[in-house]
Amino acid sequence: MNRRKWRILLWSVCGLAAAFFGFLYFCQDSGGEQKRHIIFISKVIDEENDFWKLLIDGVKMAAAENKIELSVVGMENEDNYEGQHELIQWAIGQKPDAILLCPSRYTETAPYAKKVVEQGIPLVLVDSDLNEEIADAMVATDNVRLGEVEGSFMKQFVKEDSCIVIVGHVKDSSTAMERELGVRKGLAEHEDKIADVVFCNSDYDKAYDLMMELLGKYPKIDLVAGLNEYSAVGAARAIKDMQLQDQIRVVGIDSSLEEIQMLEEGIFEGIVIQNPFKMGYLGVEEAVKIWNKEKPSGKVDSGCELITKDSVYTEENQKLLFPFREG
Amino acid sequence: MEKIKKRFTILSLFKSVKTTMLILFSLLIVITMFIFLLVSLNYTERTVVENSTDYTSRLTSQVNRDIDSYIDYMKNISSMIIRGGDVQKYLFTGQTKEEEQEAYERIITQFNTVLETRQDISNIGVVTRDGRYIINDGTDRLNENISLEDVDWYDKALCGRESVLTSSHVQHMIRNNYQWVVTLSKGIENPVTKKNEGVFFIDLNYRLLKDLCENNSPAASSYVFIMDGEGKIIYHPKQQLLYNGLKEEKTDEVLRCGQGHFITREGNESRLYTVSVSDKTGWRVVGVTQLSELMKNKKEMQGTYVLMAVLLLGAAMVLSMFFATAITRPIKELRDSMKEVEKGNLDNVNVAVSSQTEIGSLENSFNLMTSQIRQLMEQNIYEQEQKRQSELKALRSQINPHFLYNTLDSIIWMAEGGKNKEVVRMTAALARLLRQSISNDNELISIEKEIDYAGSYLTIQKMRYRDKLEYEIEVDEEIKHKEIINLILQPLVENAIYHGIKYRGSKGLVRITGRGEGDKIILTVSDNGIGMDETALEEIFDRSKAREGNNGVGVYNVQTRIQLYYGTEYGLHFESRLGEGTQVTVTIPKHCREEGRAEHEQA
Repeated sequence: MNRRKWRILLWSVCGLAAAFFGFLYFCQDSGGEQKRHIIFISKVIDEENDFWKLLIDGVKMAAAENKIELSVVGMENEDNYEGQHELIQWAIGQKPDAILLCPSRYTETAPYAKKVVEQGIPLVLVDSDLNEEIADAMVATDNVRLGEVEGSFMKQFVKEDSCIVIVGHVKDSSTAMERELGVRKGLAEHEDKIADVVFCNSDYDKAYDLMMELLGKYPKIDLVAGLNEYSAVGAARAIKDMQLQDQIRVVGIDSSLEEIQMLEEGIFEGIVIQNPFKMGYLGVEEAVKIWNKEKPSGKVDSGCELITKDSVYTEENQKLLFPFREG
Repeated sequence: MEKIKKRFTILSLFKSVKTTMLILFSLLIVITMFIFLLVSLNYTERTVVENSTDYTSRLTSQVNRDIDSYIDYMKNISSMIIRGGDVQKYLFTGQTKEEEQEAYERIITQFNTVLETRQDISNIGVVTRDGRYIINDGTDRLNENISLEDVDWYDKALCGRESVLTSSHVQHMIRNNYQWVVTLSKGIENPVTKKNEGVFFIDLNYRLLKDLCENNSPAASSYVFIMDGEGKIIYHPKQQLLYNGLKEEKTDEVLRCGQGHFITREGNESRLYTVSVSDKTGWRVVGVTQLSELMKNKKEMQGTYVLMAVLLLGAAMVLSMFFATAITRPIKELRDSMKEVEKGNLDNVNVAVSSQTEIGSLENSFNLMTSQIRQLMEQNIYEQEQKRQSELKALRSQINPHFLYNTLDSIIWMAEGGKNKEVVRMTAALARLLRQSISNDNELISIEKEIDYAGSYLTIQKMRYRDKLEYEIEVDEEIKHKEIINLILQPLVENAIYHGIKYRGSKGLVRITGRGEGDKIILTVSDNGIGMDETALEEIFDRSKAREGNNGVGVYNVQTRIQLYYGTEYGLHFESRLGEGTQVTVTIPKHCREEGRAEHEQA
């Protein structure tokens, strides 16, 4: 009798244990996940600039898609790298789950990026590279390729006595260096026809002034390559104002409303656009990959596309040039 | 006994019937529940999918009808404006500047009213082939870099009679605009030339489409998107991602599917696509539902089901244990009783008959069997007792007739010799001997009487053998009243005389002693006769050899009687040395005939 009671007890204990584990399994499954936090440190926050606006849009969209809490910070001026360094230090203090960084400087920003990694925070570089291999992953346009597309497009217009000038954005920035390299690569044997390379520090007016100077200095200029939106638009404005669009062909990088209109007008012969939205989006996805212990893809190329006057409104180019906004 | 072959049955798998029942019950319950679980889960899943399909297709059809009526409404607006005549007046047939101006103002007013009341209209305007136009409030300009011939929808509207509805595109015809819109356009006929010479258009932004799609999304992670008949996306909640190639939509499958639904599988994710095709616009409204979302409750449901199953299983097990115990209890009792019977205990082994079942009849038979065995046993015991009694009687020594003749002869000789005293003594002794020998109804007599008997015998023998025999009797008083089966000592004394002292040259001595030792009584009969060698000692209990001697009863019978009566641990013990004499020790229990008997029976 006693043994039987003992056995009943055993069975009930087993039953209860099973029920308990079942309940645990059930609870664990329905338990919510904690939201992760990403800080995105942009090179610049400028509502007027389509590139950065789209990049941030992409980051925001990816954050929403992956249910990530996102903070976007950045300086008003692209050239203010000290400001960005302070932001990096602030961001480390926030202890986010990952930092997305668009480094202002190729060399000077590296030590700060190192601090991020030393704190064990996953770091994903977006748009620009650093002089050292610090980050866990990088998403950027392959800038050499970008320049190369621009250069090889220009190559068809090169004549025997052509005079080419390059208007760059920020001297010693990785993007400027790589794009210039790419343009030279694209031009190939006509590389020696590059008369001058100037830098406008991503300022329309400075680019305009520099172009004016160059027009005075090299009256035979017939090809101008802008290395980003500021430099390209600044230079194009100068040419438009000088009514030289028939003699000088301008090729730009990046797009903006003004640039597109000047492309329609024929001031620009063509523009090579990056895909900032995709860049920002993929940057966040890289961070997610790191969290999920997947191997980060290393350097991700977000791609570029050449758009000429005639191909602005093809179905595919529309999608790339004009961000879809509802209502 | 013949070895019983073991037959394999399901019962041979386990140790007890109870365990067998318990395990089999449990197995049965688990299997049943598992099947039930699978079937019900499967059924639930199917029902959920079916319901969801049904629900989403009704939703998408509803969205489609809403879109149709929306487009119809827009067509009505365009018809209303075109039929109003002001447009034609302004664009083609204005007679005077004032008339044109008036028409222009009325058109602007109309446009403004439409734009103010409808937030979902981005642009509204009329444009003629030769570049006269009114757009929105009149301030917007045409993009001079774009020629109208390059604008696809403008061409179509100009050539056809019907209204033209575009897919999503960038409105680049208006300067500084570049919005993503859907354009509804209709040609305007010049009443003079009867030809379409202008186009009226309305650009619809996504406000209303988005609302329609979002409000009709069937579940949290599902969505609704709209595409046109060529597979181009008109509105999609993730449009920007699609445009940047970051996401893909199954437009080809949707086109192939037409009206209806299909399920796609990508890795672990299954999606249900429900497509509704509009007859008027050719647009397809597609509802996409993540099946895992529908099955969100599946885990919960599974959890509940499994929990229930476990609880029920536990309850069922406890119950089945009770049942198994209840069913097998009579069997167990039966087995316990049988074990008792195996041990030989036939008392109190009857089992209570518990039921009318097979077990009940088994119990009945068992009871019947044990009672029959008991009867048989009793009968057997009785018969054994009878047999023993008669055997005892048969074994009881009788007065040797030769001894009687010889004694009588001796008496005659003594009488003739005038030895009256001796005659009297001897005759008295003979009389005692005979009386005791005859009055043997009581098997048990007191030791005193037994000694007397042996004494009488010895007296006669002593007188017969005159100076050749001497005897001593030395018995403790305390044992004299104890009981002993009769006629034990006399045969031993007889044996001592005839086999020991008779062959001795000189005078012999027979000595009888008696004493208590613990719960035993030890009687000895010793002589100083010729004794026996070891072979003779060994053969002393041999019946056949004993018969050979002139003593027909013999030692064997004494031994047999003692052991029959008291049990095998009692009896005779001989010690003898050739030439020195023999001592026989008789060991019997001190007490109680019953004890002795019980032991005898068990043996």
